[in-house]
Amino acid sequence: MKPNFLEIIDINKKFGNINALKNVFLNVSKGEVICIIGPSGCGKSTLLRTVNWLTPPDSGKVILKGEIIGSDTGKMTFEQNNSLNAFRARIGMVFQQFNVWPHLNALENVVRAQIVVRKIMRDEAEKKAIKILNEVGLKDKIDEWPDNLSGGQKQRLAIARSLAMDPILMLLDEPTSALDPELIGEVLSVLRNLVNEGMTMLIVTHELGFASRFGDKIVFMDAGEIIESGPPNTILKSPKTERLKLFLEKLSLTSL
Amino acid sequence: MKFDISYIFDALPRLLEGALITLQVAILGFCFSIILATFITIVKTSFNSRIFNGFIAFYISFIRGTPLLVQIFLIYYVLPVFGLNLAPFPAGILAITLNSAAFVIEILRGGLASVPKGQFEAAKSLGISGYALWWKIILPQTFITSIPPLVNEFTMVLKATALLSVITVVELMRVSQQIYSANYHPVEVLSATFIIYFLMCFVVSRSSVFLEQRFKVKRS
Repeated sequence: MKPNFLEIIDINKKFGNINALKNVFLNVSKGEVICIIGPSGCGKSTLLRTVNWLTPPDSGKVILKGEIIGSDTGKMTFEQNNSLNAFRARIGMVFQQFNVWPHLNALENVVRAQIVVRKIMRDEAEKKAIKILNEVGLKDKIDEWPDNLSGGQKQRLAIARSLAMDPILMLLDEPTSALDPELIGEVLSVLRNLVNEGMTMLIVTHELGFASRFGDKIVFMDAGEIIESGPPNTILKSPKTERLKLFLEKLSLTSL
Repeated sequence: MKFDISYIFDALPRLLEGALITLQVAILGFCFSIILATFITIVKTSFNSRIFNGFIAFYISFIRGTPLLVQIFLIYYVLPVFGLNLAPFPAGILAITLNSAAFVIEILRGGLASVPKGQFEAAKSLGISGYALWWKIILPQTFITSIPPLVNEFTMVLKATALLSVITVVELMRVSQQIYSANYHPVEVLSATFIIYFLMCFVVSRSSVFLEQRFKVKRS
């Protein structure tokens, strides 16, 4: 058996009295695309955010390539904090609300972290940023301010910003949920390219079409627990649990 | 007694010298207050310590709850009791700094509240932390939205420096008093003083429009 690329081991997280995550285990191999689905408030975003320690779990471990991310004791030492930043630099994250930096233009959005975190020289960083902006189809928007970009363009800019750090893992938190329907396609096509390049990805999504076509595995969560997981065909066509059946029925209602 | 404009022209060189001191005190005091307030804002937000935040809240309510004039006297006459003897000029700057910082902290709190949490998260998720997180990502956004209230605060500071005349800082108001108590022409001298204060504040508040435009142009 090949060693796991990313291991999520027994993660627990409580917000007040609510169990956001309960005994969550998940193994991801290199190049795998995992789509996480589930009703809102089920903990899928929280799960994603525990991977890069944006939301530190109460207990449990996240292991990337054999190394523990963050800490498993809750308290962070100075060294752990530094190594956490090193991990985060290699784990791209894309948010539902894009979170591009409005005070920087498109190019600078992609350049900034390269210079600040990876200490790359400016002209080299700019060269790379232009190349990546080109790949996500924003070549003619290089000097544009984020306020002037459409939602789809902002999200592609956010993806470019992550890609500039040469991530080995991408976390995407509902990347298309805040977009107008006609703009979803342009973001999905960028993601499809990533899949084809063999990027390891964890995607929280409601795009079942995308999940079934490009996901290697679908994980269904409800009330903080992983209820079912498996290849898209089994999960979507023959759900084993009542909860997943109910969820899929509700989703199909919206497409009527 | 008739209005004799020649007294204005006679007084003008000295008044302008005083205005220069006014500007120095105001600019230095305001810069220090911005530095102090920025530092406090960062510590407040990053560590969220109950003791520190409580202390700052106490400090702000103390500053807001007492007249600036009293604070100025306190620094000039009471600090020496504790062995800290300051000349009028540095004492004046200290008073302005400590007073203005309380207001700038509140202004920055508002500016910071307008920066979405996702901006922090996006930076952190890329491995940007600590100094760079604040300096490169969060503070620029905070200050851009805070331009109008900050410029307003600076005009307040500029006018507040007139109070420093009571501790013998030789700024515009003090010079003006010196001149009219020697030539007994307060009407002319005070009119000139009035106009100089107004012109300085007018230029400053217009600069707000300029600054806002500049950063707006960048953004849209």
